[in-house]
Amino acid sequence: MPLVEARDVSRVFPMPAGPVVALRNVSLAVDAGEYVAITGPSGCGKSTLLHLIGCVDTPSSGSLLFERRDTSQLSEAERGRLRLTRIGFVFQRFFLLPMLSAAENVELPQAEAGATASERRARTRELLDYVGLADRADHLPSQLSGGEMQRVAIARALANRPALLVADEPTGELDDETGEHVAALFDRVNAGGTAVLVVTHNPALAARASRRLAMKSGRLVE
Amino acid sequence: MTSFALAWRTAKRYRARTLLAIAGVAVIGALLFDMLLLSRGLLLSFADLLDSSGFDIRVVSGEGLAARLPIADSARLADDIRRLPDVEHVLMIRIEPATVLATGKPPRGISLIGSSDAEQSWRIVKGSSLGSPAAAAEACPVLVTRPLAAALGLTPGDSVSINVRPPGVASALPAVACRIFGIADFAFATNDELTAVTTMEAFRQAMGGGQPDADLVLVSSKPGAPPGRALRAIAGLRTSLRAYSNEDVVAQFNRNGFAYFRQISLVLSSLTMVFAFLLVATLLTVSINQRLGEIAALRALGIGRPRIASMLLWESALLVGGGGLLALPLGQLLALVLDRILRQMPGIPERMHFFVFEPRALAIHLVLLMFTAAAAAVYPVWLTARLPIADTLRREVLG
Repeated sequence: MPLVEARDVSRVFPMPAGPVVALRNVSLAVDAGEYVAITGPSGCGKSTLLHLIGCVDTPSSGSLLFERRDTSQLSEAERGRLRLTRIGFVFQRFFLLPMLSAAENVELPQAEAGATASERRARTRELLDYVGLADRADHLPSQLSGGEMQRVAIARALANRPALLVADEPTGELDDETGEHVAALFDRVNAGGTAVLVVTHNPALAARASRRLAMKSGRLVE
Repeated sequence: MTSFALAWRTAKRYRARTLLAIAGVAVIGALLFDMLLLSRGLLLSFADLLDSSGFDIRVVSGEGLAARLPIADSARLADDIRRLPDVEHVLMIRIEPATVLATGKPPRGISLIGSSDAEQSWRIVKGSSLGSPAAAAEACPVLVTRPLAAALGLTPGDSVSINVRPPGVASALPAVACRIFGIADFAFATNDELTAVTTMEAFRQAMGGGQPDADLVLVSSKPGAPPGRALRAIAGLRTSLRAYSNEDVVAQFNRNGFAYFRQISLVLSSLTMVFAFLLVATLLTVSINQRLGEIAALRALGIGRPRIASMLLWESALLVGGGGLLALPLGQLLALVLDRILRQMPGIPERMHFFVFEPRALAIHLVLLMFTAAAAAVYPVWLTARLPIADTLRREVLG
């Protein structure tokens, strides 16, 4: 059963010079526990598709079902709640809050979801241990390396035990060796039963996925 | 992690911005606080001055307080007032321009006050009062203000001649020989006022021997007397007179004399609020624009709009609150300096102040700052609430 399913979705951005079609009639299903990588040249629509599947954007046409619920029928607050509890986001630029420690960054989505302080502490300790940063819990992002920041971001994305982890160029800001460590972490996350959808230019990262898709000019081509 | 904690951490993280905002709000808030003190300062000070004289009712002729014409048969009026059940004390006052001549000095124009009570409304700084036994034995005992004593080099024991010169009439009143008994501060005297006060009997002699009518009768009600009853009773004695409570006098001056200050302070307070609003709104907006990626990421992670909005409101409250608190001592200090400068204006009674603290000013100051903090956060909150998450994330990566 698909965890998330895009049915014939298109995304058109109105621009002063005329509308830009970023996605053209794309259909894609990601099953629970699956690991999917999407590759393609810059501007082909990968991130747009990821944003639709991650429920931070809505399609101009077509429909997107998440756990059988049509996300276009959800309010902004309901989509926010869905992202908070069922979807984890990892960004190319990490986007950790610079004034919070690694542990506090991981705690933040849990606090928003209503976890108690003791639950948050336990889960945060578990996640930082999971990503190998238990000893850096009190460090600010500025005191961490790029790879460490991305690992904290992955821990943050997993904080509320999401069914789907979406990652947009997660190794884009990292060197090869560090990228390899992050890629290995995605393997472990997926092995734990979480579906992973990665958009990447990194062939080594894409090669680790159980299913690889390519995009070109707003369409899935394989 | 509460919204307040997030705002606090943000304020600490962006120290330079925070300090800049707090310093700016402190300076602007100090001006706002001073404008609030100024808006009612003279009024409060004037009311305090009236109350401190010990009299709560002023009776003048029908022309009102400004004209101060003699009250016909004022001695009988004073007796009638004394007999009223709610009245404790009555004082008659008459003021006329006069010339004082001291040995070896040129004549100086002064205000000569005749008072029916030897112990009222002044504070002896040197010598003795008109009520002392020695003064009582003197035909024309006189107290002088410090400026007059300084101008003529007078000390207690000196003799002077005083010649009353009523305005608007050709006068050939003889000069009266008087003796200085004391140097005094008068409640309503300005810092350069040349004034002398003597007994009503001496004043009568100076006026040529006739019974001079008072132009002001001051009355103090008995403690515990129902408010307004003595005033109504006095007003009923003679319909040709006007009796004012201290509140009436303050209200009249508020309408006529202090409207100027109120308007200036209203305009300047409004301007300072606008400046505070612009400063905080600008800094918050710039800060938000620098953190759009972070905020879009938070929204993508499912952090709700209410939490982000309340974080921004707290940030605004911290900046305005911090600056607003600092503004109080700063404003008080500035008020002292400005008050000292303004009180040097001619014609201002020495005991009057332009900037007077009252709890009401503090309360208004805090309410206005809270309003400013909320208003300054409106645009940044709106900016983040309508932030397109996907577009912003895309722009941040491309940028």
